[in-house]
Amino acid sequence: MTAYLIRRLIQMVIVTILSAMLGYTLLYIAPGGPLLFLQQMQNTGQRRVTEEDIARLKARYELDLYLPVRFTRWLAGIPAGPVQIGGVNLISPETVVGCAIPGQVRLRYPDGTTEIVEEGCNRVVTLADLAERRTSRGILFGDFGLSQQIARERPISDLLMSRLPYTLQLMGVSTFLAILIGVPIGIYSAVRQYSRFDYLMTGITFVGSSLPTLFMGVMAILIFSVLAKGAGLPYLPSGGAQGIRDYTVPWIGVVEAGSGLDRTMRFIMPCAVLTFFNIAGWSRFIRASMLEVLRQDYVRTARAKGVRERLVITKHALRNALIPFVTLLAGILPTLVAGAAITESVFNWPGMGRLLVDALGRSDYTVAMSILFISTVLVLLGYLISDILYTVVDPRIRLA
Amino acid sequence: MATTTAPASSAIERAQSRSEGQWAVVFRRFRRHRLAMVSLGILVIIFGASILAPWIAPFPRDDIGLNRTTLPPMTPDPVTGRLHVLGTDHLGRDFFTRVIYAARVSLMVALSVTTLVAITGSLLGLIAGFFGGWVDNAISRVMEFVATIPDLPILLILSSIMIQNADLIVLPVWIIGPVAWIMAVPAREATQVALLILVLASLGWVGVARLMRGMVLQVREMQYIESARSLGGSNVWILAKHVFPNSFPPLIVAFTLGLNGALVSEVAISFLGFGVQDPTPTWGNMMGFATSYMFNHPWMPLIPGLPIFLCSLAFNFIGDGLRDALDPRLKL
Repeated sequence: MTAYLIRRLIQMVIVTILSAMLGYTLLYIAPGGPLLFLQQMQNTGQRRVTEEDIARLKARYELDLYLPVRFTRWLAGIPAGPVQIGGVNLISPETVVGCAIPGQVRLRYPDGTTEIVEEGCNRVVTLADLAERRTSRGILFGDFGLSQQIARERPISDLLMSRLPYTLQLMGVSTFLAILIGVPIGIYSAVRQYSRFDYLMTGITFVGSSLPTLFMGVMAILIFSVLAKGAGLPYLPSGGAQGIRDYTVPWIGVVEAGSGLDRTMRFIMPCAVLTFFNIAGWSRFIRASMLEVLRQDYVRTARAKGVRERLVITKHALRNALIPFVTLLAGILPTLVAGAAITESVFNWPGMGRLLVDALGRSDYTVAMSILFISTVLVLLGYLISDILYTVVDPRIRLA
Repeated sequence: MATTTAPASSAIERAQSRSEGQWAVVFRRFRRHRLAMVSLGILVIIFGASILAPWIAPFPRDDIGLNRTTLPPMTPDPVTGRLHVLGTDHLGRDFFTRVIYAARVSLMVALSVTTLVAITGSLLGLIAGFFGGWVDNAISRVMEFVATIPDLPILLILSSIMIQNADLIVLPVWIIGPVAWIMAVPAREATQVALLILVLASLGWVGVARLMRGMVLQVREMQYIESARSLGGSNVWILAKHVFPNSFPPLIVAFTLGLNGALVSEVAISFLGFGVQDPTPTWGNMMGFATSYMFNHPWMPLIPGLPIFLCSLAFNFIGDGLRDALDPRLKL
């Protein structure tokens, strides 16, 4: 078990670093970025941009460093300056790690045209220069750097923390409700297989799981906000986690913006859509698992012994049917972060998924990468937790 | 009399059913699934309309008219008096025209993605499962890695990077040409569609490869493979003649459900603004515009919404029907 855990942890670290590399490569090839902004300023003639301006901006976003150095600094915050052990330099502090101002060479072609090409370096960045800079502790240690567009110069971790409660609230409540409703439906459907209830529920869950949440969300707004309001019926406000102005809802009266009632009313629709979608998954899963178990010999044995049907189902069948349940529980973990980007966007819910969409819309790729990185780590953690939980709930399984 | 004919007729039936090909049996079983058949009918109509889009569209696709914006369905044009069957959008473009052109793009994107995924995924799965050893190891590690990365975030990031850079990326003509032809869009709009297809396919193959690998691992142990090998069959021959056909049925089901997955992904990405951009219509970006006008014009989201709803449900029902029809253990 210990050996297994150690091996898994090493694997996890490797996959994490690989996915970080993938993310960083994407960041590197992504368009936009701060230099584009500077270029625009120059093109529109707002300000003359000097070589120094460019160098300063490049230094702020580390764009003057060579890619491998940039990557390790982004990943783990090294090198933060001269590499020393006990005051002795391991690598010369004069080692070149980047180029602040590239050299320019004017090429003259035989046909008379000239072209300026960047070649060589006029001012280099050395390891010693890095000591003066603000160094991120690295994303491996939870320091995601600064946001470039969404909230200028604010640490991304602040941004994430401000959105996290909303996502946790939405995903937490909807997952809890879905399990609470979906699991009993699944059990009952399995016990009364091919009954009218089973057909009805399989039908509903089939539709529920095959409809895109996008469609369900838009239809929910259409029915419960737009049409209900138009018909003078009590309606649910759509969009946002709380209102800006007070508003009047028929039968309920004036709803104060930001009050508990306002927040609840805005929470109902996104939560209901996600719950409906998830109920389908949970109940189908439990139904299949339960049907499988009910065919087992030990269930027949229990019945043959004369155990009451109720006990057979709750004690013999259900407990075994819930074993694969833990794998699904592990799958929830990553969805808690960015699992509902579409629902959050449809309902304008200020959660992490929405943050991802906003960040991408404004080319703030550092924020997007951070979210991707966190969800990847959570996926890996989820796998690990489910593996460990498996050995806890099912003594037949041993990890080796 | 009756006692003698009954066994005789059942014997004839048996003989007939033996002569009936495998696919005829599957089709006969599939036809019993009423919802799947209805779905097939709906899909044929929508697919047909999308293929005939350039011929049956009553108006030009991008014909903007600011004197006729957001007309409700069944309104005549204020100037020409021609009927806008589904009304017009926020720029006065005919909704019916755009929705069938959008069907062309959305459905063909789904179809191309799923086809690409089916080919690459099943090839890799076949190779991994059949050869085993380090080949299997390498492919499996890559699959695990891709499966670890959360789908939706990486999909959104990749497509937003690609689409925002679509002008800088030069795709070869042998990709752009066919894509523009299949989607019925001008060549300059085809780049973003092609990029979206590539992004969706680059992440989608893992599911198919896993499925195929699992099937091959099962089939590989069968005795008929052993006998084929002892008769001197080469690897390629065994793969093509025995392994692939026997792992084919679940692939068909996966293909149908994959169509739904690709359609929904394209719709979601375009809805959020990271996919195919206006003026190229897709159901996703039409939905995106329609939702911002829905408070004053509540019918607008229904126009791209209903085809999404119908196709999504239809793909699922057909997948379900095929699963039942292809499962020999199930008596229908």
